[in-house]
Amino acid sequence: MTAASATRPKPVAKKRVGERQEALAGYAMIFVPMALFLVLNIGSILYAMFISVWKWNVRTGPVEFKGIDNYTRALSDPVFQGAITNTLYYTVIWVPLTMAIGLFLAVIVNQKIRGQTFFRGAFYFPSIASSAAITTLWIFIVSPYGLFNGIRGVLGINPLFEALGFGPAQDWLGDYHTAMNSVIILNAWTTSGTFMLFYLASLQAIPHEVYEAAAIDGAGAWDTFRRITFPLLRPGHFFVATVGVIGGLQLFDQAFIAGGTDGAPVNSLMTMVLYLYNRAFKRVDYGQAAAIGVVLFLVIFTATLLQRLIFERRQEPA
Amino acid sequence: MRYRFLTLSFAVMFIAAACGGGTSSGAPSTGGTATPPAATENPFDPAAITGSVTLGQWESSPAEGTALKSAVDAFKVAYPNIAVTQTTIAGDYRAQMVNKFGASDPPDLFYINAEYAPEWMSNSFLFGLDDYISRQSFDTSKFFPDYLSIFQQDGTTYGLPKDGNTIAMAVNTDLVPTPPTTMDELIQVATSLKGNSKIKAPMCLNAALDRGLAFVYAQGGSLLTDDGTASAIDTTESTAAVQWYLDLFKNGLGQTNTQLGDGWCGEALGKGDVAITFEGGWLKGAMDAFPTIKWKFAEVPTGSSGSKVTINYTAAYGIGVDSKNKDQAWVLMQYLTGPEGMAKWTSGGIAVPSRSDVPVPPGFEVIVAGAAYAKPGSGFMPGYPDVQKAFADAFLKQVTDKTYDAAPVVAATKAKITEVLAAQ
Repeated sequence: MTAASATRPKPVAKKRVGERQEALAGYAMIFVPMALFLVLNIGSILYAMFISVWKWNVRTGPVEFKGIDNYTRALSDPVFQGAITNTLYYTVIWVPLTMAIGLFLAVIVNQKIRGQTFFRGAFYFPSIASSAAITTLWIFIVSPYGLFNGIRGVLGINPLFEALGFGPAQDWLGDYHTAMNSVIILNAWTTSGTFMLFYLASLQAIPHEVYEAAAIDGAGAWDTFRRITFPLLRPGHFFVATVGVIGGLQLFDQAFIAGGTDGAPVNSLMTMVLYLYNRAFKRVDYGQAAAIGVVLFLVIFTATLLQRLIFERRQEPA
Repeated sequence: MRYRFLTLSFAVMFIAAACGGGTSSGAPSTGGTATPPAATENPFDPAAITGSVTLGQWESSPAEGTALKSAVDAFKVAYPNIAVTQTTIAGDYRAQMVNKFGASDPPDLFYINAEYAPEWMSNSFLFGLDDYISRQSFDTSKFFPDYLSIFQQDGTTYGLPKDGNTIAMAVNTDLVPTPPTTMDELIQVATSLKGNSKIKAPMCLNAALDRGLAFVYAQGGSLLTDDGTASAIDTTESTAAVQWYLDLFKNGLGQTNTQLGDGWCGEALGKGDVAITFEGGWLKGAMDAFPTIKWKFAEVPTGSSGSKVTINYTAAYGIGVDSKNKDQAWVLMQYLTGPEGMAKWTSGGIAVPSRSDVPVPPGFEVIVAGAAYAKPGSGFMPGYPDVQKAFADAFLKQVTDKTYDAAPVVAATKAKITEVLAAQ
């Protein structure tokens, strides 16, 4: 028996037992959250898929097997088609707009200016304020005789609006041409604070040396931003864009408060989630509501996958 | 091993989900639970019941909460053996109640708005009341006719109206000293008010069926045929009625509340933005906040149909199939919808009686007068909210785009009515 073979089995045996105990302890600790996640999240999705193929009575359960009838009825309903269009329009416009505003604010509050903490708090505040309260305030601000129309009248910039086709008492939320855009501007303002925070974190992860090197090379502020800061923020862009798209596709609060369950005016504020709410609680048609939920899940899933593909591909070294 | 575990857990969950919803319901039965054998031989004596009951309500204003509390307090004096717990369901009452039905845990007694009564009845959420009514010989003949019918389906009664409103015309008496009695007079009065610098528009009108239905009826039109089986919105009279209502907007005689910058038409009248509007009894309480405006109710003007007509909005009390204290809930219901309890509830001026044997609270004479000839304004067909939305979307589009053409409105409404009737 050599010295090596005499000592080798013991440490390996101890390590194996220790490893297994560690593994068991790990599994035990994540078991409860994992089980909750599986049941409440994954299980709910599967249950919704199950409900979506039935005519479903919320009190007594399945009534009649419908197959894909709930899906075809929803997809052929012009109201739902409008909801899909509205939701996609909202997401495509709102996400880049809020990203731009958030990035702009992040760059500003990242500098050592006086009152930096105050500005960070002030820009972030709308995100944490109650969406119901802010939307109600917004309804007043953009009403025909409200704050916005009043101020632009006083400032004398009404002719500019007239050229665009908006009279002095334009009903921004009541006119179906402008209602969704009003909600986009509202949400861009309120959510820019959250995006600002995400970008701030990414900005502060960029090492100082990079800026120093750029300064030595004689790069100006705009060049630095365009060629160095912006590309280095790619992880921030990806995160913010993904979170934004997932949130944007689920727009509900502001559409519900400003437009009611019907997405007034003229269906322009109807979103996919609002239509789901309408089917579930107004029409009490749970099968169709579940079908809409599954459709929404597929849309968000696809969008996130696409985003991941786009961003992953760009990260290939040139 | 990892993959097998995942597959197994998915399979277990799927099976559990499938087993979870295993009971089928079929057609809604009259009650959902077993009814006692012989109704007349088993009289129901409300005074003999003891126990407790939970009352689920929405509260549209603190004054309403106070009025209901005083009615419930009077009940406690009349029936000391039953304890009542009131729960206010804040927020979206309808959504929360549907959740409670799904959880098989509704309050014992609760409000049902006419708007969603058909859906709640079709989904067998509600307990049939005919047994209680006959066993106690409760007199339902005094309810205004088209109030009670909304809460009946297939010959079974599922709710008793607790109050009811009809739509009436409300005029600013400084600007309109004599309210018009015919639609032609209404147009004359409104036209003479155009350009009046004190107001933004002569009338505040609703660009939907919420009030528009009364005008359609007044001008001889209708949504459904008399037997309710087919659409009648596309007949010549109905199309002409819709066009007549659109022309009110076209000729500048009326604007919507959002165009006027007001939350609703009652606010428009109160702030002096308009001289005439059409609202229900709830306007009276709201106008107390605008003491400088002198106004009064008047009956909706008679249109080309030749007869007085308006629409009603009502709510009822109901008992859930899964409610735990049904007997006690009935005792509370028969008191609150009986002459004594309803008088208490309506004496404060918060609500308008739904029975003809309850004294009319002062100021609501016009509203109650309308109850005699009002047609249901909601709840007269399942899926009516979808029809309302189809009409409102198309109508508002015409008003916003200033094209004022009734044809697309009629077409959209007819398509939705046909679709909804076929889905029943």
